[in-house]
Amino acid sequence: MNKTVSVIITLGLIFAVGIIFAGDSKTKNTGQAVQNSEIKSGIQYITIDARGGYSPQISTAKAGIPTKLIIKTNGTYDCSASLVIRSVGFQKILPQTGETEIDIGTKNVGEKLQGVCGMGMYSFQINFS
Amino acid sequence: MLIMMKTYTFHVSGTHCAACKILIEDILGEQNFIKRSKVDLKRETVEIETDSEKNAEKLASILTSKIKPNGYTLSVDKIVETKKDDGVIWKAIPIGLVFLVLFFILQKSGILNLGIGGKTTPATSFIIGLIASVSSCLAIVGGLVLSLSAKISQDKISDTKTFLLFHLGRLVSFAILGGILGLIGNAIGISFLFSAILGLVASIVMLLLGLNLLGIFAKNKIALPSGIFNFFRKIEHETFTPLIIGFATFFLPCGFTQSMQVATISSGSFMSGFLIMFAFALGTLPMLAFLSFGSASFAHGKHAPLFFKSAGVVVIGLGIFAFLAGLAGLGIINPLFSI
Repeated sequence: MNKTVSVIITLGLIFAVGIIFAGDSKTKNTGQAVQNSEIKSGIQYITIDARGGYSPQISTAKAGIPTKLIIKTNGTYDCSASLVIRSVGFQKILPQTGETEIDIGTKNVGEKLQGVCGMGMYSFQINFS
Repeated sequence: MLIMMKTYTFHVSGTHCAACKILIEDILGEQNFIKRSKVDLKRETVEIETDSEKNAEKLASILTSKIKPNGYTLSVDKIVETKKDDGVIWKAIPIGLVFLVLFFILQKSGILNLGIGGKTTPATSFIIGLIASVSSCLAIVGGLVLSLSAKISQDKISDTKTFLLFHLGRLVSFAILGGILGLIGNAIGISFLFSAILGLVASIVMLLLGLNLLGIFAKNKIALPSGIFNFFRKIEHETFTPLIIGFATFFLPCGFTQSMQVATISSGSFMSGFLIMFAFALGTLPMLAFLSFGSASFAHGKHAPLFFKSAGVVVIGLGIFAFLAGLAGLGIINPLFSI
């Protein structure tokens, strides 16, 4: 194979890898509109689905009220079942199917909460405002 | 009777690793007419001291016949290597990248995210094993298997036996550990920190082996620290090492493995845990066996140089991915990506 051809193909492929990884950040932004929090008797519940990643990847919630996270698993066997939320010291392998409630306390305006799966390839973020 | 000792220096080709030095010296040392042999990897020469009356050309051909099965050749004159290598790398980079792109597209496509509901049975865990073996877990477990297999095959070590032992060790230890988890009924040391660190170690090994396969280290022949070489040398002789590595894959960070461990814990008995984990490991076997025995057959084929370099590219890509993901998992860096 010609060296020049190879270099061109290589650059193209690196570009493709870039799209695969970076392309995700766009869907993240459009995903912001998802309404996944509700307030019941003074407690804010934020629901996140965990299977083959977390959805929504970015969500917004209200600051200043006690908040609980509900992680829903449904036949989840992949990495997203092993959840780590470092800021609240949560580390657990979630049941394959079910809901896990995590108390994350009361957050201030501008705070962020990040959850990541054990191997680190899936993550979600909640912005408090 | 006075025995005349003569010293000859031969050029040796095929020495791509530090372990080769030990291997060649071992084999030459076994010949009773050789008193001493010393390989100089930098200069690619072997110095021997012999009491044989034969001339240098004759000695070179006799000794070559001894080390030829291991891929080395001795010669009186330096064999000028045809510089095909430069061409190979330009083919290998795009080939390796194609595999990486396909792998990441597969991960992103969501095909692998099919939920499997209901109770975990040996049948479902076999299917989960099949999925896991092509999932993102492949980045770390498969990457490690590919890099070790390619390296073992490249070092001309008796690969079939080593691979069989690795897969056997993996199947047996998954089954037994699964049984123990089922029996005890709670987590014995499934520690996030431990498996994350193990994952980082595995990704560093992958990066080093990947660079080694690419031949980036080959020029100065110092490649890896001697500890790791001794380790590979042990793989050759000891049946124990591949068994242990198979065992260790149980603890590598892989979401599927961890989920199966939880399912096993709740299964309630030794036998059910044993069967679930065995079926899971059996499900991952086809892909991993393909990686290890596939590398062996490529390594012995005529496209060996291309295979090693392409495998090097793939392994480095997966190694970087696993390393960054591992750091993110430990909270050291922010997750850079979400596939």
